[in-house]
Amino acid sequence: MLALAASDTAPGAGGPRVDARRLPAPGSYTLPRIQRCPDGEVLQTDGRPLHLHQALRGRISVLGFMYTYCRDPVGCPLAYRIMVATRDALMHDAALAARSQLISLSFDPTNDTPEQMRMYGHGQADPARVRWRFLTTASVPTLLPLLDRLGQDVSVETNAKGKPTRTLNHLLKVFLIDPQLWVREIYSVATLDQAALVNDMRTVAGEGSNRG
Amino acid sequence: MNARLSLFVIAALVASAATRADETCNSPYLAKLIKGQEDFVHVWTLGVAGMGDGRDKLVTIDANQKSKNYGKVVSKVSVPGNPRGEAHHMGFTDDRRFLWAGGLEDSRIHVFDIGANPAKPRLVKTIDFAKQSGYVGPHTFYALPGRMLIAGLSNTKDQSGRTGLATYNNSGKLIAKHDMPTGDVDGVKADGYGYDIAINPAKNAMLTSSFTGYKNYMRPLGELIKDAEAMKNFGSTMVLWDLKAMKPQQVFAVPGAPLEIRWSLKEGDNWAITAAALTSKLWLVKPGADGKYAAKEVGTIGDPAKIPLPVDISIAADGKGLWVNTFMDGMTRYFDLTNPESPKETYSKQTGKQVNMISQSWDGKRVYITSSLLEKWDKGGADNEQFVRAFDWDGKELKQAFEVDFAKEKLGRAHHMKFSVRGSGKSMAQVAREQVAQAHTGNQ
Repeated sequence: MLALAASDTAPGAGGPRVDARRLPAPGSYTLPRIQRCPDGEVLQTDGRPLHLHQALRGRISVLGFMYTYCRDPVGCPLAYRIMVATRDALMHDAALAARSQLISLSFDPTNDTPEQMRMYGHGQADPARVRWRFLTTASVPTLLPLLDRLGQDVSVETNAKGKPTRTLNHLLKVFLIDPQLWVREIYSVATLDQAALVNDMRTVAGEGSNRG
Repeated sequence: MNARLSLFVIAALVASAATRADETCNSPYLAKLIKGQEDFVHVWTLGVAGMGDGRDKLVTIDANQKSKNYGKVVSKVSVPGNPRGEAHHMGFTDDRRFLWAGGLEDSRIHVFDIGANPAKPRLVKTIDFAKQSGYVGPHTFYALPGRMLIAGLSNTKDQSGRTGLATYNNSGKLIAKHDMPTGDVDGVKADGYGYDIAINPAKNAMLTSSFTGYKNYMRPLGELIKDAEAMKNFGSTMVLWDLKAMKPQQVFAVPGAPLEIRWSLKEGDNWAITAAALTSKLWLVKPGADGKYAAKEVGTIGDPAKIPLPVDISIAADGKGLWVNTFMDGMTRYFDLTNPESPKETYSKQTGKQVNMISQSWDGKRVYITSSLLEKWDKGGADNEQFVRAFDWDGKELKQAFEVDFAKEKLGRAHHMKFSVRGSGKSMAQVAREQVAQAHTGNQ
């Protein structure tokens, strides 16, 4: 099984501790357009290709990179836990749910095949409730431009001989992308919080359909 | 060749580089915390006409005692174009790959690639901050996820202290700007001035402080302090912002130019400390019993009557101590912050004839000090020492470990410092390229 490395000084072993009482009310603020989301080909759980922009356009998307067997408590599992909490919150807000989606996109196209992603997302990816897409890519060269253009830093640890090991280092980031494909917020381990995320989704949803 | 490259090499562990804070002074969003030994100290250095190439430059010093180059300059990267723009402060992007370094005179921001090879930084981009934002004097560079928040000191219209905050994405595009508040905010008069930024992510709280405008900081200090009217134009406020909304919530009256701000890094703490330069006072910002933040004076630095001019502070990782450098007397002081309501000076040492920035390692065992404040505020003659001095700290005494004489080595005026370590591992792209090459070789 996989070895786990201790994370750096994350705020508590369980992840962020955001004081939701100090967050502004949804719609009372504006999120900047940080950057355009890049495009690239991704694979759906049935193996069919799809351009990422096709997957994103028209919905408020919460996009997180992950891989299925990560166990770092403040890595992918934290992102997954927040995604689940967000999914649960959306289930109580049908209007927002209808305009939103969650996307988990794998760092590891070799091991996280479409079939593997289907099994990983089993029971979560029910569009009748809240759309949650589980995507991967066909290869590392396909994945790399997406990572690079989104500013998702990733490196591979090497051993004493300079050979790549099975350790991947990355900075936890979850991206909020608006229906017009603009990245509007990026959450780190210090700020990845379900209440903050849903507030931001509601803020974007309230901007109106003319904003683009 | 199989289009799907083997990704077994990265198919194991995600060691998230999430951090609460970096080497105690940086943004809490910064990756790759250096908890152990730093390899390099990068020094943003003001050029001096006639000294070397006379240009502002990023100087890199090897700071690892195990290195054969320990204590030596291993890289110098001079800026092109305008030779001297009052090089001042700098900050890493959240992924720690790029170091943004600003000039207070020409308002240019130079972006250096540190991640590729920290021993040999490379200038990759220059941004015209004043032209793009209307603000002048990019001072504090504070990483946010995917972007850089920059506090200005002045503005292009009247070069006064009125200024604001500019947000750039990591590609160098301006995406938002927010003027510092003026007028009455919750009963306190805001002055519109800016200087430092410090964020407590858990509380969605951002603090900013206030200095002075271009018209003042570009004047010779001796001339400025004799100008009573000009001396009125220093900041006397701090602002608490709703970070998410980027809206001012409260303004605190903190007379005497409150400069560097540090939140306690201890888990669960919810207070920040600053030093007011002109009054030589320590101020604490924390919530009162009603939950509302307030600022109060909690200590004195040296003899305020002598205007020692506290310029930089560095907080211990456990929030229990604070280094304070005072420029005029060249003193480095340590305050016990066990009770932040009542800091106690427990140690002091003259570390130079003039001292400005101070940076400590995460473990607190090493302390680095530079000499330069501003080109026209530095002392003259023999008092104009220019250096980086590294000290070891055992809790009782600062013992000098090495010095780089920036005048002797014709580098310039040493100002702001940031740490880095030699990279470990390879980028995914590099691994992919190697695998492609191996596959290609195997197919031949």
